[in-house]
Amino acid sequence: MLIEQLINGLTLGSIYAIVALGFTLVFGVLGIINMAHGEIFMFGAFIGVMITSTLNAPLWVAFLGAIIITAIMGYLLERFALRPLRHKQGVSHLAPLISTIGVSILLENLSHHLFGAGNHPFRTSFAEISFQIGSITIYLVQIVIFVISIVLMLVLTFWLGKTRAGKALRATAENLETASLLGVDTKKTILMTVIIASAMGGIAGILVGMAFNSVTPQMGLSMGLKGLAIIILGGMGSVRGAMLGGLILGLAETFIVVYGDSGYRDAIAFLAIIIILLIRPQGLFGQKIST
Amino acid sequence: MLAELINPYYLQVGCFILINIILGISVYITLSTGQLSLANAGFMGIGAYTSALLTIHFDLPIIIGIIIGALVAALCGVLIGIPTLRLQGVYLAIVTLGFGEVIRVIFVNWETLTNGSVGISGIPHIGREILKTLQGFGFQPMSIGLQNNQFIFLSIFILLLLITIFVIWFFRRQHQSRVGRAFAAIKLDEKAAESMGINITYYKVLAFAQGALVAGFAGAMYAHILAYISPADFAYHRAVEILIFVVFGGSEVIWGPIFGAFFLTLMPEVLRFISEYRYMIYGLIIIIMMAVRPQGLIDVPLLKALSKKGRKRGQKHGTGNHKSM
Repeated sequence: MLIEQLINGLTLGSIYAIVALGFTLVFGVLGIINMAHGEIFMFGAFIGVMITSTLNAPLWVAFLGAIIITAIMGYLLERFALRPLRHKQGVSHLAPLISTIGVSILLENLSHHLFGAGNHPFRTSFAEISFQIGSITIYLVQIVIFVISIVLMLVLTFWLGKTRAGKALRATAENLETASLLGVDTKKTILMTVIIASAMGGIAGILVGMAFNSVTPQMGLSMGLKGLAIIILGGMGSVRGAMLGGLILGLAETFIVVYGDSGYRDAIAFLAIIIILLIRPQGLFGQKIST
Repeated sequence: MLAELINPYYLQVGCFILINIILGISVYITLSTGQLSLANAGFMGIGAYTSALLTIHFDLPIIIGIIIGALVAALCGVLIGIPTLRLQGVYLAIVTLGFGEVIRVIFVNWETLTNGSVGISGIPHIGREILKTLQGFGFQPMSIGLQNNQFIFLSIFILLLLITIFVIWFFRRQHQSRVGRAFAAIKLDEKAAESMGINITYYKVLAFAQGALVAGFAGAMYAHILAYISPADFAYHRAVEILIFVVFGGSEVIWGPIFGAFFLTLMPEVLRFISEYRYMIYGLIIIIMMAVRPQGLIDVPLLKALSKKGRKRGQKHGTGNHKSM
């Protein structure tokens, strides 16, 4: 029982972590909270449902489709909601936040029109495969989700730390003007960051659809808010923090459902950030804020 | 003649416009110190629930319920405002957003008190109470040619209109006072303001509490006009809706949120045939506004231009004493 719950918690936590990685990438480079990330995640899940149930295509096609569509959405988001605000004189630093809230409202209601308000089941035979180890049941999906999230984090850490593009990205995050002077194509770097973050949201969407067998237009909002809570918990712009914060939240939520009052599950994330901001405002792994 | 003009439906829409104006002002106040608070929907909920529960369970008069509701919301504002002062910009926005969510979750789960997600119905209706009181003095709506129903909505509308005018008057006065100048200084540059001897902590908490008070008041009025509230009324979407009033209208001057609330509440009523797409249009408006006019429709230069025009016209007609904004 305990181990099963532990596995459930880790699965949930891994998904949270992938969502939070998308947030943290955009924040790290642009200093912008992308409120539309949850909705892009939700679109990824819906595209997975559409491809597997309506077109009866195999799962890898669904993954590919979701990644492509959410990457395109990321491009549109950067091109039309974020780029016009950059380099504009006298724009409040809250303007991009509000602009992405606009995108999230647009996308949520668009999905109501496209997919209907109801709950869509995510039917794949893959989600039913399970193992018995003693008295414990483990679903293959859970292992896949956990592995994917770990791989994503490792690839991201390697990419940010070792590759040319990753270095360009970190330079841009450090200082946009200086990076630009040193020959980094900041425009391209920022665009790429938003696209990668969005595609990760799409991957997380499909994983959630498989794990919980349900996709609704409202899931973007609750996941988006939790993703925000996680990056504050882990520290803004920190890849490790996002990963660990996600796992902590996933475990905490699973255990409060088992041992406490399930109704308060959705409040944990926010209580946690209110507390963390009072004790350690930079988050568990964040850099000390100098301003 | 009068009786035909007064349509309860129009009055109801008018009441919502006024409540939304008050809510818009509540965000404007906190924003005038440069703090973005997304907790105002939560404060509104606190005001609404406090007042509703007090009037239902303790038979308090509505007016006392509303006042206590607003004060409790203000108290929560102080309690939230003090610790969150060290946070800036997006951090504050997220924490206040989180606070709103926590409030909603509490409303949903504290079923013995709040009736859970079903919500509270049978809240004393402010218009009916006014009518009852007046009838106690021997007044009949028929004597001025109105149905009871019309009179109820008319009385609420007039009451709200007076309150809204008072709120606008008060905060315009405050804007030109020492407090308003301190707010503006903090918004422009906190460190500079501090070195000029402005007590930042005091003024920021003051702005936060004022916003919470006004939002709580609007929430209490909302509860007593609709006679029904549920946690969904005060969730994320409400917080964003209030924010949009301010963003659309403009957050620099008080006329911005007033215009934003007026226009955006009226728009879906006028454009009933596309009400299905209302929120999609909302989203588009926000994106376009941020790209084209991030300060909102109404800003200081626009007002100056308008008042200059007005002054010119005034001189032509020989009156000449046009008050500047």
